[in-house]
Amino acid sequence: MRLPTPAGSRIAEVEERFVVDLERFQGPLDLLLHLIRSQDIDIFDIPISEITAQFVAAIEKVEKRLSLERAGEFLEMAATLVRIKAQMLLPRRDDLLEDEDPRSELVRRLLEYELFREIAYTLADAEAERAHHHGKGYVEPRPPPKASELPLRLTLEELLEVAASLPAPPERRPHRAPVRPVTVDEKIELWFEALKRKARVPFEWFVKRWKTRIHAVMSFLACLELAKRGRVRLRQERHFGTLWVFRGEDDEDR
Amino acid sequence: MELSGYSAVKTTRIVEAVLFASETPLTTAEIARASGEITAADVESAIDELRQEYEQEERAFQIYPLGDGYQILTRPEYAAYLERLDSVTRTVRLSRAALETLAIIAFRQPVGRLEIEEVRGVSVAGVLRNLQERGLIEVVERAEGLGRPLLYGTTRKFLDHFGLRSLEDLPRPEDLQISLRAEE
Repeated sequence: MRLPTPAGSRIAEVEERFVVDLERFQGPLDLLLHLIRSQDIDIFDIPISEITAQFVAAIEKVEKRLSLERAGEFLEMAATLVRIKAQMLLPRRDDLLEDEDPRSELVRRLLEYELFREIAYTLADAEAERAHHHGKGYVEPRPPPKASELPLRLTLEELLEVAASLPAPPERRPHRAPVRPVTVDEKIELWFEALKRKARVPFEWFVKRWKTRIHAVMSFLACLELAKRGRVRLRQERHFGTLWVFRGEDDEDR
Repeated sequence: MELSGYSAVKTTRIVEAVLFASETPLTTAEIARASGEITAADVESAIDELRQEYEQEERAFQIYPLGDGYQILTRPEYAAYLERLDSVTRTVRLSRAALETLAIIAFRQPVGRLEIEEVRGVSVAGVLRNLQERGLIEVVERAEGLGRPLLYGTTRKFLDHFGLRSLEDLPRPEDLQISLRAEE
């Protein structure tokens, strides 16, 4: 027993079978030619009723699995066959010319298609024969080489000459890191000072007093450090709201 | 650079060098450009000479005419050995849909999509795109009339792919006794 499969994989499965069917027959003309030739039927005197029945039976088997476009191509041919069959049943009028057989247009198309189908077979043979010959780099021309892969047109002397003409590199100076104007420890001291006087202080109050960013950064690091040590508690009601710094409950300096 | 002794170099060897170095077929005119002193006719006779030489010496390769040019290719008896190597690019064999479409274009060119669909009885838009991407067909002109539809023709690469010298190499429809042939 098979488990129900999701719609997606069922479509893929159907597509797969459909490809196999198409591999067998290129289209309605191909199928029709197969029916005629495989039964040694005289193409100039096609028994339309018989062939129509066989054609319809063949497409009924695969119709549900065909895409709308492909199914349309087969159904159109089925309609043509039915129309020809109907015309054949009508009493023929004597004043009609011999070549106005309702089948003549279909026969012309079948022969034309068969001709090109045959040429396609000879092309396949020619392709197979050609595939046994290999050239340099083989069939597909390769993309042009990247600039980095092209051989250098440069001698060592030329390279040295260019190197010698370059200005001397600037003198190396030791890298100097700027000294921070304030440390985390200093800020910790200032927080203690402030929290001796008040039970809570808004963080921004502490930042506003110094304009430079380094003070804000150090104040914040000091807050985090104190919070980690349990000396202050940090509270914020909502995002981007005021950050309150509370004196720690167990703080002896209170 | 010194070109002393250059004139002593045989035309045959110049032609051989150019053909050897090329990955694609070259016309005699293209080969002749390698030297100011040789003509397309000289190239032609050099190729004949080289072909005989390769034949006598039983070389693994030969000079083959492809389209309007020539290319050095390995002989078919070595294909099996070459194909065992990973480095050999395999040719993609075309589908029947592609071959049938190409057959119609080769004989009817310049030809539009609708005429091809009329003959094959199926839609060919996807096949045409694929063949165009492979460089086997190209848009050669636009038809007069409504929408000025694109008309397709085969390319030089088409001849190369099937090992043909020209479209004349294709089978003549009158040689194919198809209408009397029963399907095997």
